[in-house]
Amino acid sequence: MGKIIGHLLRASTTRFVVGCRVSEMESPAFGSLIRVPLLVGTEIYGLIYDMHIDDDGLVRQLVTAEDIDPSVIADNRINRNVPLEISVLAVGYNQDGRIHHLLPTRPPLSLDVIYKCTDEQLREFTTGRFGYFRHILRAKDLPVDELLAAHLRDAHKANAESGNSEWIHVATQELIVLLRDDYPTLMSVLSALSDIQIPREKVT
Amino acid sequence: MTVNYKQVQEQIQSLAAEAPERLQELAKRRAMAEELLHGGTLDLENLTEKVQTIARKHDQNLRCAVPVSDTNGSFPPLTTHITLPEFPKQATILAADGSQILPDRHAEVYFGLINISAIQMRYGESTPPQTTSTSQLFYDPALQGVSEATLSLQRDLNERLILVNLAAKAQPPVITFTDGPLELWGTKESTGEFQKSLQAYLQLLENLSNSNTVTAGYVDRPAANLVVRLLEISLLPQDHLFVINQHSPLQGVQDIHLFAGVLAPGERSCVFGIQSRSSINYSGALGLHFFYLNVGREGHPWPVRVEIPAWVIADETMLNDLHSTLVHQCHIMGQRPYPYLLHRAHELAVVSFEDAQQVSHMISMELQRHGVPFGELSYKQSAKNLGGRTRLER
Repeated sequence: MGKIIGHLLRASTTRFVVGCRVSEMESPAFGSLIRVPLLVGTEIYGLIYDMHIDDDGLVRQLVTAEDIDPSVIADNRINRNVPLEISVLAVGYNQDGRIHHLLPTRPPLSLDVIYKCTDEQLREFTTGRFGYFRHILRAKDLPVDELLAAHLRDAHKANAESGNSEWIHVATQELIVLLRDDYPTLMSVLSALSDIQIPREKVT
Repeated sequence: MTVNYKQVQEQIQSLAAEAPERLQELAKRRAMAEELLHGGTLDLENLTEKVQTIARKHDQNLRCAVPVSDTNGSFPPLTTHITLPEFPKQATILAADGSQILPDRHAEVYFGLINISAIQMRYGESTPPQTTSTSQLFYDPALQGVSEATLSLQRDLNERLILVNLAAKAQPPVITFTDGPLELWGTKESTGEFQKSLQAYLQLLENLSNSNTVTAGYVDRPAANLVVRLLEISLLPQDHLFVINQHSPLQGVQDIHLFAGVLAPGERSCVFGIQSRSSINYSGALGLHFFYLNVGREGHPWPVRVEIPAWVIADETMLNDLHSTLVHQCHIMGQRPYPYLLHRAHELAVVSFEDAQQVSHMISMELQRHGVPFGELSYKQSAKNLGGRTRLER
């Protein structure tokens, strides 16, 4: 099933926001692939592109103390209702077992449960085709280079574990093709990719 | 906009013009009070007798501090300041607070609600505090004859009750506190209703005493003049005690003005007894006492009053543990010291307008499900809720 990250707060066709307690933030990470099961046989996929931790008056006051007791930190993270907001970019959906790299036909609904994809699910989503790259590259207001680097690192790890070490090189080639007319973005993406643990000679 | 700002402005100008003179007068009185406090000429034994005589013969409503003698029978000076004791290595700290929804006859549904929350922290462990909340709904017929004062009394009782219940299960030593005075307040103290609540309250205090639980009432920015009134009494000649009600040479001076200059950060004053009309209700181990505690920092003193029962002052370890715990709790809050757990208990207990609306909605839905008719907003309330001006959007 994967680990539950949180519940849906608000959504549109292209993006959605998930709320969870700060104490539950260990599992999701920037660039993680998540999924939202809808009706039987349908689920939406998305990539985490932002995480917000909001403060409030008490937290602002507590930081003025010289040192903060561990139990006070635990109280604020576990008992107090200070949610972590996770922003997600929709990158595809699964209907009746078939994965589409298209925008979902409808957004998820309030309080839908959001799961982190397992390595197996990440492999299923990324294997063979890279249609979902266009959703990322179109999101000009996001740190596209960093998001791609984080996602490719995760996907490479999942694919390499099942013996497909070539996945990262094919994915990089696909990005080069997609960005051939956008030199600044291409350079930025390749620069970010060079910072992740991938054999350098095959990246470009 | 119906406030007559012109009139208000005239009044502001007038009060501002008079302020320097008032301040000068107050400064003189403060200086006089400080001289009395620090002078070392007070005969505290005699002063205690004076207080008792006035309360017995001339003014039963006298409200002031009473010096408390130590185990040797001698009185510590009123300027006694006790440094911050060592913090208890292990202790269970419990704080409770309550709030209520008052019945509103203009609302759709006539109901009341008391919400009590408590939070429990174990010192010496990094586990998150445990929180508990209880809500008691008042609806017809339980609401018959229930006034705002009744709900407030019940809330105060329930605050102490939740502490008794949680303290009974907690690992000792247990230190509990609530916001405000320890003394139960009621506007109509002679009524049977108040007396009944008072007896229940005293029983709860008795339970805390029997379980060796520390309990206290924390009064932030106290405006009282309990010690100042004691100093005023010291100025009264023995044969003029009957003029006590016309005798207030230190009017306007508050206790915190005095103790801000006596207590260094983290220090507490000596313990005082409380002479009040209702103090007779709190006898023996339940006798009401207080001390001032400076929870502020260097250059920014912040004296607060801590009310405690007699069983706490009888055990120096209890008193010291309470002292250091409150200072530690206040330091958690950084620049604006206030016990962290009290703030959290308040945060948990507070009933918002949205909560009240939600409960009202729940009641009306359930009544509707059972085919029971319920009311509608009064026309007065309905008129008050009318929206403001709107503009046609282009």
